[in-house]
Parts: sequence; C-alpha cells; structure tokens
Amino acid sequence: MAELELDSLTKIFQDGDDEIVAVDNVSVSIDQGEFVVVVGPSGCGKSTTLRMVAGLESVTSGTIRLDGESIEDVKSQHRDIAMVFQSYALYPHMTVRGNMAFGLEESTDLPDEEIQRRVEETAEMLDIPELLERKPTELSGGQQQRVALGRAIVRDPSVFLMDEPLSNLDAKLRAQMRTELQRLQEDLGVTTVYVTHDQTEAMTMGDRIAILDGGRLQQVATPLECYHEPANRFVAGFLGEPSMNFFDVTHRDGTLVASAFEYPVSEAVATDFGGTRELVLGIRPEAVEILGTATAEHYFEVTVDVVEPMGDENTVYLTFGDEATETNTLVATTGGMREVSAGQSVVAHIPEDAIHVFDRASGTALHNRRVKSRDVAEIDSPPG
Amino acid sequence: MTDCREGGPAGTDAERDTAPVRTDGGTAADEGGLRARLAGVDAGRAGLYVTLLALVAFYMTPIETGLVTSFKTTGAVTETAPFAPPAEGFTLEKWQTAFDVLLRGVGNSVLYAVPATIISASFGSLAAYGLTTTNLRGRYKAVVITMFVAGIFIPYQAVLIPLTQFWSNVVPLNELLGFVWALGINDDYVGIIELIVTHVAYGIPICTILFRSYYKNMSEEMIESARLDGASLRRVYRRIVLPLSTPMFAVVLIYQFTQIWNDLLFTLVLVATESSAAAPVVLILAGLGTSQEGTDFALRMAGAFLAALPTLAVYIGFGDEFAEGVAT
Repeated sequence: MAELELDSLTKIFQDGDDEIVAVDNVSVSIDQGEFVVVVGPSGCGKSTTLRMVAGLESVTSGTIRLDGESIEDVKSQHRDIAMVFQSYALYPHMTVRGNMAFGLEESTDLPDEEIQRRVEETAEMLDIPELLERKPTELSGGQQQRVALGRAIVRDPSVFLMDEPLSNLDAKLRAQMRTELQRLQEDLGVTTVYVTHDQTEAMTMGDRIAILDGGRLQQVATPLECYHEPANRFVAGFLGEPSMNFFDVTHRDGTLVASAFEYPVSEAVATDFGGTRELVLGIRPEAVEILGTATAEHYFEVTVDVVEPMGDENTVYLTFGDEATETNTLVATTGGMREVSAGQSVVAHIPEDAIHVFDRASGTALHNRRVKSRDVAEIDSPPG
Repeated sequence: MTDCREGGPAGTDAERDTAPVRTDGGTAADEGGLRARLAGVDAGRAGLYVTLLALVAFYMTPIETGLVTSFKTTGAVTETAPFAPPAEGFTLEKWQTAFDVLLRGVGNSVLYAVPATIISASFGSLAAYGLTTTNLRGRYKAVVITMFVAGIFIPYQAVLIPLTQFWSNVVPLNELLGFVWALGINDDYVGIIELIVTHVAYGIPICTILFRSYYKNMSEEMIESARLDGASLRRVYRRIVLPLSTPMFAVVLIYQFTQIWNDLLFTLVLVATESSAAAPVVLILAGLGTSQEGTDFALRMAGAFLAALPTLAVYIGFGDEFAEGVAT
C-alpha cells in the first residue's frame, strides 16, 4: 500500500535520428489504495507509462515517487511492484505453486513453510487451490489469468500494475473477472494502476480514470466526471458507445450555425464561449430525443437513415435533409421497444441542457452539459 | 487381481465370438480394398513410389555395403560383390581388431569432445542470453552479433598456422604445465587441452547464434515478470531461461559433439601423430587398415562404424529434445 506519484513523466524513444515522444509530461498523483485506470487508443503511451513505473523502461525526464521517494533509479526487482501482463507471462516449466512461490522466493527471505502457507492462502482466496500442482499449459485462459493475478497478490506489493489483463478472455469471462478484480482490489486495498483500451473497463472499474492521447494526459477524473464533463473534444469522443455527435458550428448572435441546421443557444450558455466563434457542438446519442412533431426551438425535422437494433436499445442514424453526409448525420439511441424504421420522417430534440461546446481550434471544452448533482447522488446512494 | 482375472476370459470370449465373422468379412473387404487401392493408383503415383524406392536404395547401398564388408574376411572382400552379404567368409575378427586399435583413441576423443561440447554450449547460451535480454544498447548489440556471425564463417584452414603459432609461441601450454607432467602424466596430453580450448573458441559463435534465435522467441513479458518478481539477471537465467533451454541444448550438444568428434584438421595440427598417447580416434582411424601390402577394406569399414557409434548414441540419446528444438 502506497501513494504513487508521477511528476512530469516523459519518455522519448530514439529511432535513428528521429525522436518519438511516447509519453509527454504526464503528472498524476495516485492515493493509497486507489484504483486508477489509464485508458486511451493504442499507441497513446499508456503501456509505456506503466512500464516506466515498473522499471522496464528508462525514464527520459520527470520523477516517479513511491511514498514520497523517487524510484526511477531503483532496479525493477527492488521496486516492490507486481505486474500482471496481458499474456499472463506464466513460467511454463513451473507448476502453479512454483509460479506463485517464485516471487516470494526471489524477493524475500521467508522460510519455505511461510511461502507455502501464503501461496495456499492466496490460492484459496482466488478459488484455485485444486490447480496448484498443474502446469500452466494444462490451464484454461481464465485459470491462467487467475494464476497470474495470484502471482501478483501473493507478494503483497505496494503497487499493482495491470497491463490489459483481461483482453485475452472471452466477453463473458471478462465481465465476470472485471467485477471480481474490483472486489479483490477493494478487499486488499492495494494501490492499483490498470491500463486498458477498453472504455467499459475504464468506466466501470476505476475510482478515477486517466485518459491519454498522443502521450499527453487529457483528463484525470472520476469516470462520470469524464463522461459528463469532458475536458476536451478527445475525451468526449473517446468515452461512450456510440460516441458523441460532433458538428462544426459558427457562433452568430446567440445561434450556432452548422451546415445542416441552426441551433439557438440561451445567453447563459453563450457567455461560456467567450469571444470564440469557431466551435464544435457535441451531443451524446442518448441525450437526443426522437419525437413525432416539432413543438419549439431545438426540435429538428430529420429522416431516419439506418436503424441498428441492439435489443435493449436501437442505434438510429438520422439525417438533416435527404442525403446522408458526414456533416449532417446525427446518431441517437432509443429504447429497444420503440419502433423506428428507415426512411421515416421524425423530429429530433437536442435539449439545450445536454449540449457540449468545444473550441474548434484547441478542442478545449467551453461548455459542458449540466449534471444535476442530485442525479449523481441518487446513483451513489439509493434513497431509503 | 480378481478384476484382471474376470476381465481376461470376458475379453477372449468376445474375441472368439467375433473372430470368425471378422475373418470372413475381413478377407473379402481386404481383397476389395486392395483391388480398389490398386485401381486408384495412377501412373504418376506409381512413378513416384518407384523413384522413392530407388532413392532409398541409392542412399542405403553405401551404408549396407560398408556394414557387410566389415563382417567379411579379407578373402571374401575380394571374391564377393561389395554389397553381397558375407555368406561364406563371415568373421568378427575385423571388428575385434578395430576395437583393440581404436579404443585408446575413443577414450582420448571423449576426453576433449565432451568438455568442449558442454563448455561451448554453456558459453553460447550465456552469451545469447546477454545479447537478447539485457538492456544493452541496440547499436552495440549489433556490433557484437556481427562479430559472432563473422566467427561462424572463419574457415578452419585459414587459422591453422596462426593456431600453431598461438599454442607454441603465445601460450606455450606445454611449458606452462610442466608441474603436471612432473606428476607422471604423458606430456602428449597437452594436445587434449589445446583441442578443448580451440574447439570451445570456434564453437561459441555458432552456439550463440543458435541460442539467440531461440531466446528471441521466448516471451519477453515472462522475463520481465521474473525481474519484477525480484529476480536478478543471473537468477532469471538460472531459474527461468536455463530450464526452458533444454530443447535447444539438445540441438547444440548434438551438433557440436558431432562437429568436434569428426574434426580431423585441428587434431592433425595439435596432436599430429597417431602414435601419440593422446591421439584421438579420427587420427588413428585415418591410418587404420592401410599398409604396404594393400588396404584392408573390412578393417577400415569396421573402424569407421566403430568411430561413428558415439555420435549416433548422442543423436539417439537426445532425439526427443532434438526434434522439439528443431521444430521451434
């Protein structure tokens, strides 16, 4: 258990004469016992960041502090950090028992009986005591995953690092392990950094998520904050499936003018823009309402282009006008029981309290949807 | 016990019941099957089989000829066809003679081939580990690897003179080891030590490259995982890499042993005479069965087979691991 702090961490790879900046000035401070998920598209530097914390990559500049002490010059074997790899990286010639005992044998002076006791205790906790005498090749993917976790847990390290540990599992097992991992982390209370490209894992597992793109940290916040109050256009577009609708708009006297429609905004919202005129309007698909008739402003006549039924909900592609182009398509989700069919003319409502507005040049969020704190509170603690 | 006894008769009963039925149906089906199979063979396939059989005969004949010759008396060798079996003049005498003459050489060969094989394989494995898993800069690694690869292609003939110069002028081992000879050991054995060192030196490059290709395929995450588990570089080698290298060790040991055992050039230079107390088997074999009266082919064949036996034994001994190592 420890506090982990990354301070202006930078990693530059030399490729011949070219310099590739993999991680650019990343600073995150992770509290004791916190579960932080680092998420981003592939190549965003999330794994490199993790590997620097583990000591598997050298640090170009910046500092990594564990409980206030800088550890960049400490060799990986002395960092008291355990890592779970995507490939599990089990030792194929050792039994599960050998795999789990290896770390304790190498990093501690514990007597054999104590090591065996801890291995068995951890195996019990992970529900794999019957696998102890088997070799990794005799295990299923899910079982190997548990052994890999057990190998990390048994050492009782100050920090857990996990590099996409669930991505080799099938969907069902992944969902199951996700919950189990969260429960384990909560019980053990070990500071954890979890790297993934899967936004479901990011949203559901972490106390906080850190979103990386192109080596730069975009936002560090709770999952819901990132979702509802994204710091910039990248975060807004990265989280959520289907992703947020974006329209390039120009601000003219209280109206956002897009190529396909005009969207009037109230003064309260317009003040957030400052003097910026070149903007991007964002709206989440689930915030778009589909209705029969237009009643006021913010209601638009649209045509249903494509419907993708998912069972629990439908993803509906709407177009302003007849032809579907990049700039006039609006994606909305409706309840699964609603019947919407292609070619139908409907009205889409884009509520003003759900819109996001970004600076087109920098991508920075100027205005985010209003989250009623009451709504969030209700999710956290149900009434009664 | 009772289980076995009960199971036994039941099994035979069942066999007896089904046996006649199976024979009748079986022969009919076999004939039909054979006919059908023959009908299915077209000219191309028949040609292929004939060619394959011819090739088998082509490759096996020399070995068969050698083997039958080694069991013939000197008279039978000249009177019968080389590949004909030794019907009349069969004798084990040639094998006996070859055994008596070569035994000393086999012992000497083992004396340097075994240590040289083991040492070059171990060094190769260590060097390959250093070249694949350490944080050595890519640029420096490339230089070192290039030198190892170049080492493979140095022809033995090109180094024969420098080699003798080295062992007589630069490192006069014979003089340096004077205290050993004082113990009553024949100073010819200095050749054995020179052979060990020379073969290790010339074996390391190929061993390193073979191990390197194997280690490059090893999971990097597994090594990293071991490092994070608290193991030092040395411990990772000892507990993870070395135990997983068994198949490659089989390949390298077989290859190196065969190379070193069969090498005549270095033994000619470093030991020189078959009369030496330290003469390896290849050196004695070279002169075996040749005299002014003519060549004793049977004896030469028996000697050749005898000298080849240890390499065969190594192949058979490490066969399973060898197959696994070659496949990876």
